[in-house]
Amino acid sequence: MSELQMGMVILVVTLVVLFSGLPIAWGLILVAVGALVSVKGVMPLLNIPLVIIDELASFALLTIPLFILLGSAVGSTNAGRDIYESLHRWLDRVPGGLVIANILACGIFSGICGSSPATAAAIGKAGVPEMLRRRIPVQLATGSVCAGGTLGILIPPSITMILYGLTTETSIGRLFLAGVIPGLMLVTMFAIYAWLVSLRHDKRTATEPVVYYTLSQKFEGLGRVSPFILVIIGIAYAMYGGIATPSEVAALSAALAVVLVMVIYKERSLKSQWRIFRETMRESTMILMIIAAAGVFSYMMSLLYITQSTAEWLVSLQMSRWVLFAAISVFLLIAGCFLPPVAIILMIMPVLTPVLEANNFDLIWFAVVLTVNMEIGLITPPVGLNLFVLKGVVPQVSVKDILMGSLPFVVIMILFIVLLAIFPEIALWLPNKAMG
Amino acid sequence: MRAFHAAVAAISLFCAALASVLLAVAGLIIVWMVTWRSLGNSTSWELELSIFLMVASLFLASPFTLLTKGHVGVDLLPHYLSSKNAQRLQTFTHFLGLAICLFLTWYCFQFALEAYIKNDRTESVWAPPKWPLYATMPIGLGLTALQYVSLLTSPPAKTEAY
Repeated sequence: MSELQMGMVILVVTLVVLFSGLPIAWGLILVAVGALVSVKGVMPLLNIPLVIIDELASFALLTIPLFILLGSAVGSTNAGRDIYESLHRWLDRVPGGLVIANILACGIFSGICGSSPATAAAIGKAGVPEMLRRRIPVQLATGSVCAGGTLGILIPPSITMILYGLTTETSIGRLFLAGVIPGLMLVTMFAIYAWLVSLRHDKRTATEPVVYYTLSQKFEGLGRVSPFILVIIGIAYAMYGGIATPSEVAALSAALAVVLVMVIYKERSLKSQWRIFRETMRESTMILMIIAAAGVFSYMMSLLYITQSTAEWLVSLQMSRWVLFAAISVFLLIAGCFLPPVAIILMIMPVLTPVLEANNFDLIWFAVVLTVNMEIGLITPPVGLNLFVLKGVVPQVSVKDILMGSLPFVVIMILFIVLLAIFPEIALWLPNKAMG
Repeated sequence: MRAFHAAVAAISLFCAALASVLLAVAGLIIVWMVTWRSLGNSTSWELELSIFLMVASLFLASPFTLLTKGHVGVDLLPHYLSSKNAQRLQTFTHFLGLAICLFLTWYCFQFALEAYIKNDRTESVWAPPKWPLYATMPIGLGLTALQYVSLLTSPPAKTEAY
């Protein structure tokens, strides 16, 4: 059997194993061990512990649990509600102001939190019931937060960007910066869509009498939120002012967030600290275990020469750049519907990186394309994590409504990928400007 | 049997609490490292120790992550099966999970033992022995296997309690 055929067999087996519901980490190890034993015998198995420890014992990897700690500290409080409530007070005269406030709040929360489901949960649990109470159409209310939540992995800090940086050996600082303008643009595009829908909706039905806020009320909310905005500014300053590496920034901001949460939201008891750390441990163990397992999987793929052969084969097809790009995008879109972003980056990027380099694609730019693709995967069935997070937050709304509400945002994101392909500067201008 | 399940859950919970402390300490060490360095001093053990603590916390938190269904899987296949068959498939995947954890525990145990016997040290100036770090792998994975045994012998339990 040639390496390519072997690669196909492994792909199919991996998908079957992963779809069985077996945890992804164990699934990847199972396939890796099976393939190694059947081709090379039991000898290579002795290297597995070393592969795992080499994969995990890296200072850069510390960014992941620490940024998760940051997000989970802020997420455990009512900071999400405070952020969107104060934004809403400023947008009280805009049609769809509440929806736009939720979308903007998702954008801001993404600047503290590197995970999409966490963003959707934090803003959704306060924002969606409020929107429903004020008779905002169900699909718009849920769809906007579901899609807004996906920005968590695009706007820095982002767990998936960190993983991408580690897998492709690109600068995490650069990747973070590359996500800023695309993130802001998507927030704007989402907000414009919400505004247009609300304009039409407001004409048709009279909603509750609109409450206007005084200037002092508008500033009141800002007071509680501003420390978190300072955390975001602090992260940016420390990282790009050359003061600290991403891991150090993660530690500093996580420590700061835990202290802020204790001071502002009075979460000082052991119980509330455990709530924060419990979520941190679960989430980071899950991700780091997949990283370790994906390391074993890559070791197998590389030892059996599958990674190299597949990459060589893809390069040898001599597809034009844009045909290749379209093919990769469609592939990622489909993969994104079935697998979580972490697994896709770790399994696919080792094969794709040489192909992208051979075709002169910028790896930083591609990170943004990939991330938007993953974002779409988060709100499309069957494994759209954000759909189910939102369902958990508002159990009275059907998944179908959340899905239908999210679809227009999927279209916006696909349009955005096309924009990114035509104008790569959207992603590349800021990192090039700031870091040369 | 109930006492066994409770004991395993308690061990998982304890390890997760310990892991939380290790991660918090790792974070604080880095904060200290940045502060100390910014005062013009050089650092030595901080970087390595923080990495060690993070890796240890990951393995120690693994059984609790399993207990609270935190190790994500893609349950696409069970979705299309009848509830009875889905249940059977789940039992089967639990067995697979148990087998993989046992397999990893054994290989990681040998690996840690070898590092202990040879007294392997890292190549840094600080040069701590490697075995305490390696030992967290078989401990965490072994306890994850134990948690699987508990899951396989118990009815679906409530996880919210933790």
